[in-house]
Amino acid sequence: MGVIDSISRVMHNPEPLNLVDDILRPAGDNPVVQRGFATTSIDALMNWARTGSMWPVTFGLACCAVEMMHAGVARLDLDRYGVIFRPSPRQSDVMIVAGTLVNKMAPALRKVYDQMPEPKWVISMGSCANGGGYYHYSYSVVRGCDRIVPVDIYVPGCPPTAEALIHGILQLQKKIRRTSTIARP
Amino acid sequence: MSDTSAKSLADQLVARFGDTLEVSTERNEITADLAGADLVAVATALRDEPAFRFSELIDLCGIDYLGYGQVEWDTTTVSGSGFSRGVEGQALGRFSWAERPSGDSQPRRFAAVVQLLSIEHNRRLRLRVFCEDDTLPVVPSLTPVWPGVNWFEREAFDLFGIIFEGHPDLRRILTDYGFVGHPFRKDFPLIGNVEVRYDPEQKRVIYEPVSIEPRVLVPRTIRDDADLLQARAEAADKWREN
Repeated sequence: MGVIDSISRVMHNPEPLNLVDDILRPAGDNPVVQRGFATTSIDALMNWARTGSMWPVTFGLACCAVEMMHAGVARLDLDRYGVIFRPSPRQSDVMIVAGTLVNKMAPALRKVYDQMPEPKWVISMGSCANGGGYYHYSYSVVRGCDRIVPVDIYVPGCPPTAEALIHGILQLQKKIRRTSTIARP
Repeated sequence: MSDTSAKSLADQLVARFGDTLEVSTERNEITADLAGADLVAVATALRDEPAFRFSELIDLCGIDYLGYGQVEWDTTTVSGSGFSRGVEGQALGRFSWAERPSGDSQPRRFAAVVQLLSIEHNRRLRLRVFCEDDTLPVVPSLTPVWPGVNWFEREAFDLFGIIFEGHPDLRRILTDYGFVGHPFRKDFPLIGNVEVRYDPEQKRVIYEPVSIEPRVLVPRTIRDDADLLQARAEAADKWREN
């Protein structure tokens, strides 16, 4: 495997890179165990680090929050993906807006989002957060949390199942893997 | 609660309070209408007197009787092809109180309803107080009698605009800061007056006039289904022929 090969694999973003993930492989396949080193690009390394520990700030607003809890606990266990719920926006890089966002809560949601350090992503969970949903014509509900914060992933459902939320989180991982912070195309 | 105890409570109420209360029993539940001026005295008596001992106030809420008993869906002219829908704007929220449809079945618009529980006697009682003035509904506060009513009265004030005289802290409790209007009033537009969005230039969440059009969202209430009556009559005819 030469330099050209490595570059061509990096250029093939957004295909799965597996450059960094290789070090998690069993001993026979593991380049670190076999050769004692692994080569990769900085972008792949950063994205590996970012996708491997997405810590969401818990913004449970309504019944979607219950499904979010289900995703977090033993049966589906978001810890497997390195997703650990944090009580503080300062320690988080993902915000999961789970539930109905009302006018009164909107400034607070934006403040929490602003308090998160970069880079940060937002998952909009459920019909209400996506576009107002059942309460679209209500006097007090924000017609979609993307009016307040930029949303990366929309998870449909009312409420979405815990599996659907996990699917959304995996989609976000895919999206993050596609970004290149250092390399310029 | 058995029928006899409901009857006996109604009788007790009439015997004790006489014309002050207008007691009615519906589905084995007792409702007592009374004037706002008598409310605190009656409530104190209901709480303290051994025959009643309504020690606990379960709930207090407001009611807006505007358009009570009227429906938006026209169900009397139903044909076999279906319903005609009241898209022409019969709905509440599309007219002001001054232009309200006539034929109100209730003489007064606003009422406050109190649900009481006597743990000692295992009995319940409902009090209803109509507000004399429809434009400025006022009801005396029950906070001196049951302190727990505090937030219920704030809620009724917030949503219906009923003013509770003597309340220690009558502020809005649920709606947004700086909210204008009382959203549970039937003439309040369902889509509201303002909506919010984040303004990237000002770097804060701003309020704007609402941008969407109102829509008919009144559920279909079938009271006189002509289609159903027709089908029933036809079925009866068929049965008679056979």
